[in-house]
Amino acid sequence: MTARRIRPRSARPSRRDDPVEQPIDLGVVARQAGLRVSLVRRYVAFGLFEPCAGTNQAPLFPVSSAARVAKAERLRRDLGLNYAGAVLVCELLDRIHELERRG
Amino acid sequence: MAVDYKDYYEVLGVPREASQDEIRRAYRKLAREYHPDLNPDSDDAEEHFKELGEAYEVLSDADKRERYDRLGAQWRARENAPGGGDFEDFFAGQGFDGDPRVEFGDGVFSEFFERLFGDGAAYRPSGPLRGRDHEALIELSLEDALAGGRRRLSLDGGRSVEVNIPAGVREGQRIRLAGQGGAGRDGGPAGDLYLLVQFKPHSRFRRQGDDLLVDVQVAPWEAALGATVPVPTLTGDAQVKIPAGSSSGRRLRLRGRGLPRRDGERGNLYAVVQITVPKHLSDEERELFEKLAAASQFDPRRPGS
Repeated sequence: MTARRIRPRSARPSRRDDPVEQPIDLGVVARQAGLRVSLVRRYVAFGLFEPCAGTNQAPLFPVSSAARVAKAERLRRDLGLNYAGAVLVCELLDRIHELERRG
Repeated sequence: MAVDYKDYYEVLGVPREASQDEIRRAYRKLAREYHPDLNPDSDDAEEHFKELGEAYEVLSDADKRERYDRLGAQWRARENAPGGGDFEDFFAGQGFDGDPRVEFGDGVFSEFFERLFGDGAAYRPSGPLRGRDHEALIELSLEDALAGGRRRLSLDGGRSVEVNIPAGVREGQRIRLAGQGGAGRDGGPAGDLYLLVQFKPHSRFRRQGDDLLVDVQVAPWEAALGATVPVPTLTGDAQVKIPAGSSSGRRLRLRGRGLPRRDGERGNLYAVVQITVPKHLSDEERELFEKLAAASQFDPRRPGS
């Protein structure tokens, strides 16, 4: 049996059929993304992703956040974008995907 | 191993005398066009982007560009000379040697680059970064999806992984294989691979949401008199009672024998009665059918009969 590769893409938050996965804290997001916590925190400040559980003092984030922040950082480094630009591109990509899904 | 000459100017679409500015502009434009994260549905974007990075790495660096230009001129001269054209010999003659694995992006630079510039030439100290998540389609038979179990799966690039398919997996569900996606950069973790579950069409069962339909062939007398017949299910045959007076199209429900539902229960299996008549009748069968035709008042085309 083979797996046919169709569309490599970053995981999107809250796909409804996914098995329930426990939200993770910022340290785990950073480790899974290969980045420093301070950098991940900066992306949170730019609104790249939001807490889905936990408290104000100890927020928890969707498991998909690590892939998302890594994508933003790849775009930032590879295309010479700033943080706001990378976040904007990620949001536009989400929007394109949503439109394609509906179409 | 043969090593192909790479024309970095062609990759970036710039003339040989292009300025640093032109080269940077061309690279940025193409990088936006081919960035794998911007082209998630394209299979060759990744490869193309890597090639761009390699071309830019060489042409944007004055030293590397000069070395590359020198080599290119000699290479073209050799190609035109009788007996020339073997790049392997060429490298040997130039004293280019080295066996580095240079990391850039999700993979390594070409053999050509490595032979030309050697170990670590492409190292960009940009820090670790997780690789891309990938998504692939996994096709399961209805039986396998219901039963679950372990599967060996071959992936792009000849890798193979053992996948645990949960029993009762649903179509559209995604199975995550941690660390099986794109390679990380600079020692960053690899991305994940998501397997998107799709069901193979089944030769006997038709799907209607979480319910399954299966045709069950019955003889005219079984349909008229009633009978108990075997009906296939996803887990083997079941015996189903056909009530007397069942016409074609009648659905007989086998509760909970369909596909797994979101709520953990299972849909139903419906056996759909299909009355089948013998193609050839024996003399006795013909005689009996003729008797029946003469005796019966039944008119299937009259409403309410």
